[in-house]
Amino acid sequence: MKEILESVRQDPSYLNLWSAYKKIQDLDLQVPEDDVNAVRLAVIGSTTLEPLAACLDVKTRLEGFHVETFVGGFNTYRQEVLDKGSDLYKIRPDVVVLSIDAWSILDKMFLANFVRMNVKERLAVQKELVENVLSVTSNLESNTSALILVNNFVIPVFTPFGIVDNKQKIGLKRFFEGANEILAKKLENNSRVFLVDLDAIAASFGKSRITNWNTWYRGSIPFGDDFTPILADEYIRYILAMKGRAKKCIVLDLDNTLWGGVIGEDGIEGIKLGNTAPGIEYVEFQRSLLSLYNRGIILAVCSKNNPDDAFKVFREHPSQVLKEEHFAAMRINWQNKAANMTELAQEINIGLDSMVFLDDNPIERAQVAQAHPEVLVVDMPKNPRLYREMIENLNVFDVLSLTSEDMARGEMYVGKRKRTELEQSTTSIEDFLRTLELKVRINEVTDFDTPRVVQLIGKTNQFNLTTRRYTDAEVRELRKSKDAAVYSMAVHDKFGDEGVVGVAIVRKNDGDWWIDSFLMSCRVIGRSVETAFLAKIVADARKANATRIIGEYIPTKKNPPASDLYERHGFGMPTTSGDNVTTWVLDLEEKTIDVPEWIELTEE
Amino acid sequence: MTDIDDTVHDILSKVLMVEPDEITDDLRRKDFEPWDSMAHLMIVSEIENQLEIFFEDEEVVDIWTVGDIKKILKQKIASQSSNEP
Repeated sequence: MKEILESVRQDPSYLNLWSAYKKIQDLDLQVPEDDVNAVRLAVIGSTTLEPLAACLDVKTRLEGFHVETFVGGFNTYRQEVLDKGSDLYKIRPDVVVLSIDAWSILDKMFLANFVRMNVKERLAVQKELVENVLSVTSNLESNTSALILVNNFVIPVFTPFGIVDNKQKIGLKRFFEGANEILAKKLENNSRVFLVDLDAIAASFGKSRITNWNTWYRGSIPFGDDFTPILADEYIRYILAMKGRAKKCIVLDLDNTLWGGVIGEDGIEGIKLGNTAPGIEYVEFQRSLLSLYNRGIILAVCSKNNPDDAFKVFREHPSQVLKEEHFAAMRINWQNKAANMTELAQEINIGLDSMVFLDDNPIERAQVAQAHPEVLVVDMPKNPRLYREMIENLNVFDVLSLTSEDMARGEMYVGKRKRTELEQSTTSIEDFLRTLELKVRINEVTDFDTPRVVQLIGKTNQFNLTTRRYTDAEVRELRKSKDAAVYSMAVHDKFGDEGVVGVAIVRKNDGDWWIDSFLMSCRVIGRSVETAFLAKIVADARKANATRIIGEYIPTKKNPPASDLYERHGFGMPTTSGDNVTTWVLDLEEKTIDVPEWIELTEE
Repeated sequence: MTDIDDTVHDILSKVLMVEPDEITDDLRRKDFEPWDSMAHLMIVSEIENQLEIFFEDEEVVDIWTVGDIKKILKQKIASQSSNEP
């Protein structure tokens, strides 16, 4: 298996992807027991989709997942979706790709007749086309808990109206644009169904080249061999987002990365950075980085420089876009960068595998890559005029929903830095916590908070007792269930509002409340809010006449920060099973957990 | 073996999951399970792409063995070069 994947990794051509797929299908693979690293895929639609499924299958494996793939038959998606006993549902897919070609739904004479149709007729056909797709997605939604990825329609290049197509009330292009718009509008607030912008991906690749007409007419294969792997990459973005593999932080070099030249040698007037060439390429690169920061990507600096030289640019250069306030942490020194990366990860409190390293120097890149294989070290273009394109095509920051917590993450890190300063100036940890004026709101999850809760479940690695990942659909089920409760915790202190940062899922079994999941964003570690969270669960359990609370700790590479949670809070009787899972019990007749006096519990 | 044969053997070995030296001219579509219609389509289009030639539909149907592929390719390439001015 390793061998097969290694050979595709080196040359991920269509032929090699297909060959690897076929070879892997012949292997008798063990299905892993945990779902964390497994993905069950289904690719269905109106055409021959095996090649697309093959590319997606192998590319998902290249990301380190165990994959099971179901490929629908040629144009049998309606039956597969409607029949609850179909093979599509037997594999219990985590992700369903739905690729419906508009022309398979439209009348055979559509193109010819379109020219003579009146506006009303055109709108009627458009409505039917859209409803056809939406009825399939809504069936998929009710019959699976999968993430559903549906292609939009490729707006055709040819139109019989020629250059006056957009002089028609509804020309052929506007017909398809309109259909795509309605699809987007209808799915806008849907957290399970995502509209994949096939039209834009095809346009970026070159619409005239997405289909190989030989294989289309011979075997109804909709996408050619150059385009198929590119489309598969687009679906991979959703899979990585679903699995919480998004990168969170960009670590930036300074000289010849954020500006041209070397500040220590060229001086503030000499570096290339300005609103005309040379230097505008760096300004625009910084603007792109700032757009990512404003979306919630953390920025940090790792540079070999004299700090004073570098700060002079941040503070005094009129064209410098990124300022000190945008960086969550900085390492401007002469230490080796691998060591700096370790420190940055600790200071920001994120995993090295959430970090992207950008440096123009290939030697620095090689060193960081070798010391930290989990860091994404980007092969920067030699030409700085391509930096902006590089960052805009990186596509590693995707999340399935953007919450207000995400958007404000940058500001939260300013708060974090100030908190650290306060911590260093106070003598005891209790004094520090007392001065923070902590306010915590804990309640059963509302509709409004559900996207954020699902996101936290998907991506929290460090302070996560069981690392069980639940989808949006599963969380909604748990919320509905009488035998379970899903709690969220929001934290506020005098330096700012952190928003929802904690989740707990409790399963109630007579007198036992079993904590299925307990997790907290690393941002609030060390503020004792977990104690308040447990105290609230204990209080609710007492109200419900429960007698015991049972907690589990499932160790992973990343969650040692959470390992002593139950022990610290008076849980006893630890038992460890064969696979290292420790179970703790809190006997409510003997013990309790109180909210720390420096935390105020607030109601909504 | 010619360069063209090499290309064909490389494609066949990847699509049919056999070692290149196990491929013989009389390897038959009908007797070889991995050579299904999807594999056939794959082989034909990869040869077209890599050698920049084009098979007629009749030719695609008439390919029954590895030898057939090579025979058709030889004819095509011969007629291509004779057409050159």
